[in-house]
Amino acid sequence: MHRNEKNSDHGLFLCADNDIEEGRSRGFDPQKHGRDSIFVVKKDGLYFAYRTQCPHIAQSRLAWRKDEYLNGDHSRIMCGAHGALFEIDSGLCVSGPCLGQSLFPVEVEQRGTSLYLTDSRYIRGWSAD
Amino acid sequence: MRIIAPDEVVFGVDNLEGCRQFISDYGLIQHDTPTGGYRFEAQDGTGITIERQENPDLPPALPTGSMLRQTIWGCEDQDAVEEIEAELSKDREVTRHADRSISCLDDVGFAIAFRATRRRPLDLGFERVNSPGSPVMRPANVLAQITDPIVPRTLGHVVYFTPDSDKMEAFFVERLNFVVTDRFTGTGPFLRSRDNYEHHSLFLIQTPPHMQGLEHIAFHVEGPTEVMTAGSRMLEKGYESFWGPGRHVMGSNWFWYFNSPMGFRMEYDADMDQHDENWVPRELPNTAETAQTFLFRSAEKFLPGGD
Repeated sequence: MHRNEKNSDHGLFLCADNDIEEGRSRGFDPQKHGRDSIFVVKKDGLYFAYRTQCPHIAQSRLAWRKDEYLNGDHSRIMCGAHGALFEIDSGLCVSGPCLGQSLFPVEVEQRGTSLYLTDSRYIRGWSAD
Repeated sequence: MRIIAPDEVVFGVDNLEGCRQFISDYGLIQHDTPTGGYRFEAQDGTGITIERQENPDLPPALPTGSMLRQTIWGCEDQDAVEEIEAELSKDREVTRHADRSISCLDDVGFAIAFRATRRRPLDLGFERVNSPGSPVMRPANVLAQITDPIVPRTLGHVVYFTPDSDKMEAFFVERLNFVVTDRFTGTGPFLRSRDNYEHHSLFLIQTPPHMQGLEHIAFHVEGPTEVMTAGSRMLEKGYESFWGPGRHVMGSNWFWYFNSPMGFRMEYDADMDQHDENWVPRELPNTAETAQTFLFRSAEKFLPGGD
């Protein structure tokens, strides 16, 4: 699926749009693993979603605390394991161990005042037709 | 050279309040610094200082974006500091400060300092384990106690990402009289001061130059139960486990590492091996098998039912 495809029949409701403050982040556990597997950053009213996995180490997770994925001034995504910094809109690592690598994007879609997960890889029980 | 171990590590951070909350939740005792930052202490007075990254009084930052600004080594006394000053002045600028500490750069550009240690001697209990075949350690009717809050006892070790592990090892061994306890091939050495029998106060990890900085800091707690409990409490507060709980092969210490807003991991550890001049260093490849004896992940509590 590409970012531009919209499939209004599918998707998992994540949250209402005022559940994520502008300039902040929030994690989600759509597959009910008991730990967040994806996170969303709201920047300038747009949503950017990625897997919580750092490209540096496969077992490494980005948050330093529940829902905390950003650096001090909220200008970049930060990995709490080794301090790598990533551009919010592209996921590109601009500082740190995985310089030049990118976060793993996840498909989300804003519909009205709600945010939906539309990436089949993270929706339990999804079957792609 | 009569160096004991790291006394204090100093950081310039971009999220002062987030870092303050994290280190406080980790268990160190918070004090204010005169410049608007915080100094956090373990039970013996060793610890971490965080200041705003814009603070002009901090040593300069590394070009890599690391928040580490300086590692301060505690020495036995002021004579030991002056011995180090004389040695290092031979080939670099060493600054003497009003508090009689000295500072300079090591051979790969890390800012280091030396002072007569401010650590206080500790006289504390130990984790009492009843082992069949050995004398009972907890008398009858005495329950296993878990402290709340757990305040780590002492700063155990610092681990660096270094662009030249061999050069940095040579600096500590040849100039400061450190000893290599063990080594991971291709990664780096576990180092201790000759006068300190802890398996390591310093571990070096060879990495590309853009990664130069601090990899983790470990504070010792009483024993394995405190590692498990302190770590579980961090999870309850919403913090993110990086690795652990488990037990290392090299050093044998129980460990649990947590992500932090300072750009490195904070570790609880306990029950580290001690080594003296009779120890023959081991060398192992650095693999998942040699990095831990066992590894667990915390699970939600449940009650096993009967039906």
